[in-house]
Amino acid sequence: MPEPLLKIRDLHVGYGKKPILRGASYDVHPGECLTLLGANGSGKSTSLNAVCGFVTPTSGSVMLDGIETAGLPPHKIFAHGIAQVSQARDLFPDLSVEDNLRLGAMRRGGKQQAQTLSDIYERFPRLKERRRQATRTLSGGEQQMVAIGRALMSRPRLLLLDEPSGGLSPQFCEEIAQIIDRLKSEGVTLLMVEQNLNLAFRAADRFIVLRDGQVVDGGDVRAMAGDHDAIVRNIYL
Amino acid sequence: MLMQLTLGGLSQGMIYALIALSLTVVYRSTTVVNFGHGDFVMAGAFLSYVLVVLLGVAFVPAAVLAMAAMFVLGVMFNRGLIRPIRGGPHIGLALMCIAAGYLLRGIARMVWGREVLPMPPVFDMAPIFVGDLVITGDAVFIIGTVLVLLLIFFGLLAMTDLGKMVQAVYQSPRGARLIGLNVDRFNDFSWGIGAALGALGGILVAPVSLLHPDLGASFLIKGFAAMTLGGFGSLGGAVLGGVLLGVAEQYAGAYIDSALIEITAYVVIVAVLFIRPQGLFGRKAVVKV
Repeated sequence: MPEPLLKIRDLHVGYGKKPILRGASYDVHPGECLTLLGANGSGKSTSLNAVCGFVTPTSGSVMLDGIETAGLPPHKIFAHGIAQVSQARDLFPDLSVEDNLRLGAMRRGGKQQAQTLSDIYERFPRLKERRRQATRTLSGGEQQMVAIGRALMSRPRLLLLDEPSGGLSPQFCEEIAQIIDRLKSEGVTLLMVEQNLNLAFRAADRFIVLRDGQVVDGGDVRAMAGDHDAIVRNIYL
Repeated sequence: MLMQLTLGGLSQGMIYALIALSLTVVYRSTTVVNFGHGDFVMAGAFLSYVLVVLLGVAFVPAAVLAMAAMFVLGVMFNRGLIRPIRGGPHIGLALMCIAAGYLLRGIARMVWGREVLPMPPVFDMAPIFVGDLVITGDAVFIIGTVLVLLLIFFGLLAMTDLGKMVQAVYQSPRGARLIGLNVDRFNDFSWGIGAALGALGGILVAPVSLLHPDLGASFLIKGFAAMTLGGFGSLGGAVLGGVLLGVAEQYAGAYIDSALIEITAYVVIVAVLFIRPQGLFGRKAVVKV
C-alpha cells in the first residue's frame, strides 16, 4: 500500500461550543476515491471544510503528503494542491463560463492555463459551446460541470467533492460517475461526500462512515457489493 | 440655461459618482456600508490642502500623494478595525465606521477649528464660450479627471485578470477562496481603493468650494442617494446615479426652488425606495419562503 496522500488524525472541529468532528482519523491514498458517508450532522462536509481550511480544527492533524495543513487559510491550502467542488458550487454567476474556468487556474502560468482549458473543453464539450455565456444562465448540471472544471483547472493533487449529485437528475448522476471514473484513471485522488449511495458506491473505491463526528465503519466498496443495507443501517440506526 | 445647468450638474455629479462608486467598491467586497465615508472624503480634501497650501506641493502630485495616503489609511482601517469584528453583528461594523469618521472629523476640528478654508483655484484657465454656454476650467478638470479615472477603473475591471479576480471576490467570496484567492487581502485592497477614490472626490471638490471639517456629511448623503438611485451594489449604477443626482439638483434648484438643491438627495432616496427599491441597475431581492 503506498503512503497516504492525505492523513487525518484525531481531528476535532466545532462550531462555537458545538463539537462536530470528535476525533476523526482516516487516510486517502493516491489515485483512489474515498467517499464519506453518514447522516446529516455527522461531520462529512465539516470534514471537507477542515481539509481545505474553511473551518479551523480545534485539535488534530491534517497532513498532505507529509505537510501539516491544519489551521492554514484556504488560499494556502489551495496552493498545496487541494481543490474543492462545494455543495453550493460557489461559481461566479455573472462571469462567463470561460472566465470561471480560467479563474480556477489563475495561480498557474498562462501557457499551462491554456493547455488545461482545452483539456477541460475536451472533457466537457458542452462547456465549450457555452463558454461565453454567463454561468448563472446554465442548467444545474452544466453549472456542476463548470464547478468541477474550475477545480480541475488548478490540476489539484486532491479533489474534494461535496455532494456532486446534489439537485441533479439521475442521468446527470451517471455522468458524474463517469467523470469520477475518468479522473481516477488519470490519477486524480478524490475525497467525496455523497448522500446518493448508488453514486457513492458506483464511483468510490473505499468508504468510511461517520457518526457523531467519529469514524465508525469503513472498507472496500467492492467487498460491500450487494450489501448496502448493512451500511445504511450503520449510517442511520 | 438648460445646457449650463446640465454642465454644472455633470460637474457636480461626477464628484457624487466618485463618492458613490467608492462606497460601492467597499460594499461589494465586504457588504459593509461605510457610514464614515464622508469623512474620508473630507480627509482627502484636507490632505490636499495641507500639501498644496502649507507645503507648496503642486496640485497633481499633491492629489496623488493624498490618494496614496488615504489608500494606506483605508487598508489599515480594514485590517485594524473592521476585519477583527467581521464575524459580529452588522450594526457593530456600521458603528465602527461612524466612530472612525468622527475621529477623522475630530482631528480636523482640533487642527483647524470650525473655520472655513479656501483652496486656491487649480485649473486657472480662461472659460470657454460656446454660444451661451460657459465652460469653466474647473468643470473641464473635474469632468475630465473623473472620466479618465472611470475609464481606467472599468477597463481594468472588465479586461484584466486582476479585474476578473476582483469581480470573483465580489460575486462569491467563498468561490474566490476555493480558487486560491486571498480574499482578506482583496478586501484590504477594496477598502484602500474605496478610501482613495472617495478622497479624490474631496480633492476635486476642494478647489471649487470651501473646506471645513463637516463637509463630508453632505457628500455621504449624496453618495447614498446616488447608490440608491443606481442600485445598491451596482458599480455602473453608482456612477450613473451620481451623475443623474448632480443634474437633478441643478434642474430642481433652477426650475423649482433653489432650496431644493440641498434636499434633492433625500427626495431621491425616498422616491427610489418607494417606486423602484432596487434602483436603476440593482437586482430585485427575492426572498424564498
